[in-house]
Amino acid sequence: MLFQIDFKAGKPVYLQLVDQVRYAAASGMLRPGELLPGIRPLAEELRVNRNTIAKAYAELESQGIVETLPGKGCYLKANHSPFTKVVRDQLLLKEIDEAVVMAHHLQINREAFLEMVKERLDHFERLASEEQSSKTTPRRTQ
Amino acid sequence: MKESPSAIEIRDLTRRYGKLEAVHGLSLTVRAGCCYGFFGRNGAGKTTTIKCLLNLLRPQSGSVRVFGLDPQRDEVAVKSRLAYVPDAVAFYPWMTVRDTLDYFASFRAHWNRDIESDLLKRFGLDLSQKAASMSKGQKTQLALITAICPEPELLLLDEPTSGLDPIVRREFIETVIGAYQSSDPANRTVFVSTHLISEFEGLIDEFTVIEQGRNLITMNADAARERFKKISVRFTAAPANLALTGALQIKQTGRTAEILANGNSEKLMAELQTMKPEDLRCESLSLEEIFIASKALEQKK
Repeated sequence: MLFQIDFKAGKPVYLQLVDQVRYAAASGMLRPGELLPGIRPLAEELRVNRNTIAKAYAELESQGIVETLPGKGCYLKANHSPFTKVVRDQLLLKEIDEAVVMAHHLQINREAFLEMVKERLDHFERLASEEQSSKTTPRRTQ
Repeated sequence: MKESPSAIEIRDLTRRYGKLEAVHGLSLTVRAGCCYGFFGRNGAGKTTTIKCLLNLLRPQSGSVRVFGLDPQRDEVAVKSRLAYVPDAVAFYPWMTVRDTLDYFASFRAHWNRDIESDLLKRFGLDLSQKAASMSKGQKTQLALITAICPEPELLLLDEPTSGLDPIVRREFIETVIGAYQSSDPANRTVFVSTHLISEFEGLIDEFTVIEQGRNLITMNADAARERFKKISVRFTAAPANLALTGALQIKQTGRTAEILANGNSEKLMAELQTMKPEDLRCESLSLEEIFIASKALEQKK
């Protein structure tokens, strides 16, 4: 998978990597059992400190998204969150609250906000199903 | 985790050349395993500080410790565990690449031949070429090989990429990340002095800005990008007097303004929001911009 880093995003670089893996997993770009790039090649490629990559992978592991096999590398796990349903709900509520506050300040009303949420859910489902179908029918070479 | 001494510990270092005070009461600490940026303008005192670490200069007051040792008293013990790449590298002109590497290896207890051949291949250096006929870029590459093959615990880089072309600069940084840090990263410390900050942006964990021999600011890189932000705002009509309390710097041209925030971007954003701007956005400063802005920080003090 391809990573993109923006030093001006106001978000620590390791968290940017975490978000990108989570996004890739949610949209099916990265599938369970698939290997993430090694720490050293990725660090060289992005020209960031290898500690940054290691920190991102450790964070992903603690969130239960990837699994590290010694000597093999970092794999995307099947969708099993280590958290209980209650904790998962709370984690998500926090994010939703932030989006709601943001929507308020940007003067986006309730209907428009809900419409956008639906649109994004559709978007991710579409991406995932496209990835799914490309697994069976070989992808066109571009 | 076991508490090991810091890779570098500088306390109240002062060093004068005659009347000129090059370094004045500088203090900083570099944790082992960290990549530390040492930023400053030409003549800020960067090289003087590094020379004190190497016992090429003696501190007139204050102290420097490398791996907890005094470089003056334990010079060999200190130097056997570090490598230094100066800004202007010089080799014996009659020696070939092979001769030079063997010569440098002869001073070292340990020399990793695998890294040597990897890097020679990567840089495309010709073993039979004499140093006299090498370009500046090739000499820097050779210096980097001589610094990395002994696998030192500390790599001191003094303006390593100035005067090099962009491809060589890129390779240089990739090599520091890849070949140098690949094994035992907890014991691979990098201390890099530079004013070409953007190239090292992703590598730096922590940094110090030195100005006229003094420590202007020391910060964690992520924390610094979190704290220093640039707010761009555009109004429908040019405000007569854009007075914002707590802004580090305000640059206004007509309807648009650029405001530097120092840890108070949210408050400033809220304040600007009440003025009903046409457009309002906020982004982090890069380390280079923070370096430039640190001047303003000084004036505010």
